[in-house]
Amino acid sequence: MTGFELLVPASVEEAVAALRAGAADPPAVIAGGTDLLLDIDDGRVDPRRVLSLRRLPWRSLDWTDGALTVGSTLPLRSLEDDPEVRRRLPGLWQAVHAVGSVALRHRATLGGNLGRAAPASDLVPMLLALDAEVDLVGPRGDRRLSVDAFVRASRRTALLPDELIRSVRIPESRPSAYLWQRVRPANDISQIAVGVAFSPRERRWSVAVGGMPPRPALLAEVAHDLGDATPDDGVLRAAAVRASRAVSITSDQRASEEYRRRLVATLLLRAVRAVPLDGEGRP
Amino acid sequence: MTPPPGPLRVNGRPADLTGMPDSERLLDTLRWRLALKGTKEGCRTGDCGACTVLVDGRSTLSCLTLTREVDGSDVTTIDGAADDAEIARVSRAFAAAGALQCGYCTPGFVVALAGLLKERGSSAPVEELLDGLQGNLCRCTGYAAIVRGVALARAEAP
Repeated sequence: MTGFELLVPASVEEAVAALRAGAADPPAVIAGGTDLLLDIDDGRVDPRRVLSLRRLPWRSLDWTDGALTVGSTLPLRSLEDDPEVRRRLPGLWQAVHAVGSVALRHRATLGGNLGRAAPASDLVPMLLALDAEVDLVGPRGDRRLSVDAFVRASRRTALLPDELIRSVRIPESRPSAYLWQRVRPANDISQIAVGVAFSPRERRWSVAVGGMPPRPALLAEVAHDLGDATPDDGVLRAAAVRASRAVSITSDQRASEEYRRRLVATLLLRAVRAVPLDGEGRP
Repeated sequence: MTPPPGPLRVNGRPADLTGMPDSERLLDTLRWRLALKGTKEGCRTGDCGACTVLVDGRSTLSCLTLTREVDGSDVTTIDGAADDAEIARVSRAFAAAGALQCGYCTPGFVVALAGLLKERGSSAPVEELLDGLQGNLCRCTGYAAIVRGVALARAEAP
């Protein structure tokens, strides 16, 4: 590590201007820093300048018309502590709670997790299942992308070098669940994780699988198989088998391909059963 | 536009950070610039919790925090136990419970638990406190005594 200069712009305009001015050698962007600083220590990146988002007004959380908008620099711990998040998006709460430790979540952010696009992210799969969108700001104006379009591959996103992640939007409350398997429950990376959610408005399921490179993925056909309500046992088991075959998985140091495929089926079964139901047994 | 942050305060005193490189970590600032050696360096990758300090009352991994990024904040470390009632109380509870073997992880555990008690209050279920300490590792594996220390600290909190 050769050290770097820290830029701390006081407004969004200043931040975007700083990114544009340094376009030939773009600064690394830091929110909580819990992932970027590890990469700097390991020599995977060696930025000459780092642009801090700490003075931008993005530590926000807003519920409007049933949609949740989370500012990109809100610490994950604050997201976890919002009682409405736990009640209306239980799967998101479980995914956030699965990230690192309390001390890490006091600094780590949703924007950072998306921007760094770690293949083992615990947040991306759940955001996929919730049909979340990312709002970006840049010199050519704002744009909105689905998380599915934003996360391209391991450590690769659709973010342009002069753009910043302003916020993440989740369009509606959804009964949901997020389950993972790890060697150790704490401070470890998931071997496989499954996020499921049910859209009350559209009466459909969504299913996403994480913990496998190059990136978490939505399983649209498996979700379709789950139907438009609580699936019965046979339907659920068939969908779980289909999911275990549908994912593209390889063996690595964390788990074998066969073990991961079994985990996909088992965690999908448990996750669908863990989705909270209403008084009439509907999700 | 938010105003530029003020100086960093460590254990109640303004810290002299003259000449500090922007890339310096809070852990290194505490241990080497300010000679506050109570905060320990363990893994330096955010996995062990040994370097936990409080930033504005919230537990924070000082190894993964840029000092410049917490300008204007109040940092409290194990060395500030004399001035922080919660850290002092947890320290006494850990001592009474014998909640340490080699002691290297202890400052991290004590500060992390003090932070949880500040956040959640002493009425928080002990399970939630233990869940909140999952990020702290004890390589001596002396966890049974640590669990007793947590229960004792909770019971003695006002």
